[in-house]
Amino acid sequence: MLISWDWLSDYVKIDCPLEEIVSRWAMSGLNHEGTEIVEGVPVIDLEVTSNRADCLGHIGIAREASVLYRVPLVVPQPRPATAKSSIASVLQLENLFQDACPRYTARVIRGVKIGPSPEWLAKRLRAIGIKTINNVVDATNYVMMECGQPLHAFDLAHIRGGKIIVRPAADKENFLAIDHKTYVLDSQMVVIADAERAVALGGVMGGAESEVSDTTTDLLIESASFAPMSIRRAARKLKLHSPSSHRYERRIDPNQLDWASRRCCELILATAGGELLDGVLDTNPVQTNLPEIELRKSQIVRVLGIEIPWETSCDILKRLGCEITKVGEQHCTVAPPSFRQDLPREVDLIEEVARIYGYEQIPEDAMVPMVASMRRPKDIVMSTLRNVATAAGFDETLNPSLIGRGPADRISPWSSEAPLATMVPLLEGASILRRSLIPSLIAARLHNQSQSNRDVRLFETANVYLPNGNQLPREQLNLGCIAESELRIVRGVFEEILHRVWGVGSDTPKLSETKVSWDFLESGSGIAWMAGETMLCWIGSLSRSLSQSLKLDGAVTLGETNLDLLLQHAQLVPRVRDVVPFPAIERDLNLVVDEALQWQSLQGVISQSAGPLCVDILFREIYRDTNRDGAGKKRVLLTLKLQSATDTLRSEQADEVVASVLGACRSQLGAQLLA
Amino acid sequence: MALDRFVNSLETMLEEARVSLQSVDSAEALEQLRVKFVGAKNGALKSVQKMLSEVAPEDRPAAGKRFNEVREALQAALDGASDRFASGGAAKSAQPATDPTLPGLRPRIGSVHPITQTLEHLKEIMGRLGFSVTEGPEIEDEWHNFVALNIPDDHPARDPLDNFYLATAKNADPVGNSAPAARLMRSQTSTVQIRVMESQPLPLRIISLGRVYRPDAPDATHFPMFHQMEGLWVDRNVTMTQLKSVLRLFATSYLGGDVNVRFRPSFFPFTEPSVEVDYWWNGQWIEFGGAGMVDPNVFASVNIDPEKWSGFAFGLGVERLCMRRFGITDIRDLYRSDVRFLRQFAS
Repeated sequence: MLISWDWLSDYVKIDCPLEEIVSRWAMSGLNHEGTEIVEGVPVIDLEVTSNRADCLGHIGIAREASVLYRVPLVVPQPRPATAKSSIASVLQLENLFQDACPRYTARVIRGVKIGPSPEWLAKRLRAIGIKTINNVVDATNYVMMECGQPLHAFDLAHIRGGKIIVRPAADKENFLAIDHKTYVLDSQMVVIADAERAVALGGVMGGAESEVSDTTTDLLIESASFAPMSIRRAARKLKLHSPSSHRYERRIDPNQLDWASRRCCELILATAGGELLDGVLDTNPVQTNLPEIELRKSQIVRVLGIEIPWETSCDILKRLGCEITKVGEQHCTVAPPSFRQDLPREVDLIEEVARIYGYEQIPEDAMVPMVASMRRPKDIVMSTLRNVATAAGFDETLNPSLIGRGPADRISPWSSEAPLATMVPLLEGASILRRSLIPSLIAARLHNQSQSNRDVRLFETANVYLPNGNQLPREQLNLGCIAESELRIVRGVFEEILHRVWGVGSDTPKLSETKVSWDFLESGSGIAWMAGETMLCWIGSLSRSLSQSLKLDGAVTLGETNLDLLLQHAQLVPRVRDVVPFPAIERDLNLVVDEALQWQSLQGVISQSAGPLCVDILFREIYRDTNRDGAGKKRVLLTLKLQSATDTLRSEQADEVVASVLGACRSQLGAQLLA
Repeated sequence: MALDRFVNSLETMLEEARVSLQSVDSAEALEQLRVKFVGAKNGALKSVQKMLSEVAPEDRPAAGKRFNEVREALQAALDGASDRFASGGAAKSAQPATDPTLPGLRPRIGSVHPITQTLEHLKEIMGRLGFSVTEGPEIEDEWHNFVALNIPDDHPARDPLDNFYLATAKNADPVGNSAPAARLMRSQTSTVQIRVMESQPLPLRIISLGRVYRPDAPDATHFPMFHQMEGLWVDRNVTMTQLKSVLRLFATSYLGGDVNVRFRPSFFPFTEPSVEVDYWWNGQWIEFGGAGMVDPNVFASVNIDPEKWSGFAFGLGVERLCMRRFGITDIRDLYRSDVRFLRQFAS
């Protein structure tokens, strides 16, 4: 809300530097956005919160100043002279849409001479950024900016049939507004019509056909009240926001209609001449008073934590315009003024007392009792996995939860149901709630590729949204990883996390590795770890065809973990195990095996045949020598770590284990030891 | 492999080395010999060592012992030859000198996202003030996102165009009048207040951090997805003095002991009285976060008697704090995944 310092001084005389009052306003609820000097006059921009419709005019702001500085507020009392003939002789008024328009008033002025506004008025409007049109339209805008009540002037000559009807618009009714655009209305909107057609869209904008022009002589001055929701809906739907709709949406003072109407007429008579017909047409000429509120002294302390002298509290409310109808030592009864529709409850009054008394009076050194608060298991596990991922050279990324359509949007290892979408896209084209973190990580990789960033390893921990029939979607916290060529890097991260976190207790499901083949993975590259029937995590390489269609310029390896499941079985505190005091013996084996043999099978045979002395089987490397071994063979180098828990292992014992392992590998896998 | 074959290989190699070393005449030639015999990759000694594993197990201790003897002898011969050149001035370069100014072998360690770092920092500070972390869903119903928070049907915040409603049959009406079962991406973490008060016993002292969604066109300071921290303290006698004290402690902890903070009246549907907290930075007041005493209507919607309990809630935008802390000037950089950006926050 822009305030002209010069205009404000019509209502309140404040003798202090501008900076001071601006700071007082800010500290009592009207935040200062900035001050500019326009044509020599300071123009102050104040942020008016949506509950304070009363501050959408100069008088409201002046009232705040008068309360803060304990100086009188001077509000003009308009008493426009009236002619003998009565308005009833020229106009009839009917309200057919009471819900949307609780009250409508009309006055008529005849014989005005349209021309420019006087300079003092035009200057004030210019200062607060309102375009001047002519003396009549300017007068309506001036009064709106004075008291917050929107007004509208019609050219009476274009009101047909001597009638104003407030009614719902017809469905698909066309309306030509002052901006000379045609709007298609619906039956929930309220229009102001004459005997034949709509002449204004109630509370939002006037009509082009009845607008005041240079040839206008007779005026109808509307001062009305419209229901906030109705106005908000119409303004939104038509994308037609005006200073008027802005005020109606925030609920104007219903008792101010007549004051504003008279004030406006008085100004027009002074600036455009003419005569005001006697009387006013009013669909609902009753003053509506807000309900009285019981205020307890004890409640002020209970909310604010400080004692404010009871007289001070009551005085603040009175200065704000409330009437104290009953006052006792512990209670009082308060009737808020009609311009404070935001004060229906006791707690609202307490806020008023507090903001005028000053929030700065409330101490900032109260006792905050200690309570136990500890890191959640989740925080501990998340920290572990961030440590592991970063130690492996992965950078953390955060990506939008919604993704766009594209070759990657079908990557969905956790759900086969169609994804959910939002009505409005989050970013251009991105309206799909991701079911996996992988599409986002691929997009991230593509971005880095476009920037020539090489050797990109990224991870993200975030929810994925798994459709769940008609229920709320299941939000599952995942860890997703993306790296370049070597799948073992991603696998290593997951292995390390599982090693550190996956529980060892009897109620923790045993993990089993199983092959997975999804379209988006290169055939044969997918592995999942299953906890019973549920997938805990998976890894794989992105299929070449998808990689090509995405224009990825190198191999992409991927993996994803269900962290909710991991958390269910997380072991938060490592438990110590005895360190065996006897040295281990290592035996290297270099086995020639079939190309198709995978480590998992080899490891299975070895661990079964090696017996309890074998405490670890370490993979070293694979290499191929087709000259010596022939095609379709590979050499696997590995180390057996042998150890006894009870004594120093003897060489012969180790030999026995090796012999048993070699025997099993030979007979079950056709493996040959390289001599 | 038999032991004698192994030992034989060792002796042969040692002899060859001695002969070669006697006739060596330059530092370069010596270096070539060093590589040939004891090079870490393909030196002759290494090749013989590989054969050690092929020696019959019972012979291996003997083989290993001999191997070590030969290795020492070989090294001594090399050192001897090297000394010859070292004493001769110009030949000093024969012993490759260590260059301690070469760049170190730095481990490649990834970085944690600045938003995550900020979230963890906030949790740590609030944890010390006795606030426990809790969470709620990102996809919400209107009850938790609006109704229970005292945001009525006609409130502008509920406009379907200002929220990310899910595209389901129930949400079909594009303007107003959304059905009660409508779902949306939460527009604020205050939803968690409601979920916690519905489900957990009082008193409560919690914070909740997470993603929220609002349709803002992206620019340097706006992004349609961002993070908030929400706090809630409900107890028998919580007043605005606690509100101010906790937020003052928090601001001081996060922004530093010399920070200038002010509390000014504001308006939020779910608190009354409401407070906006600003801090003084670079010659102007910057919004830090919003707060207020829990509105009695909010308590009523979760069946808590506002005459017996009171509390305060606060919320703040995480991105702004994060950006100030790290000097980030464009919020969009946070969500571009550019590793050149991300790697700056390794800490």
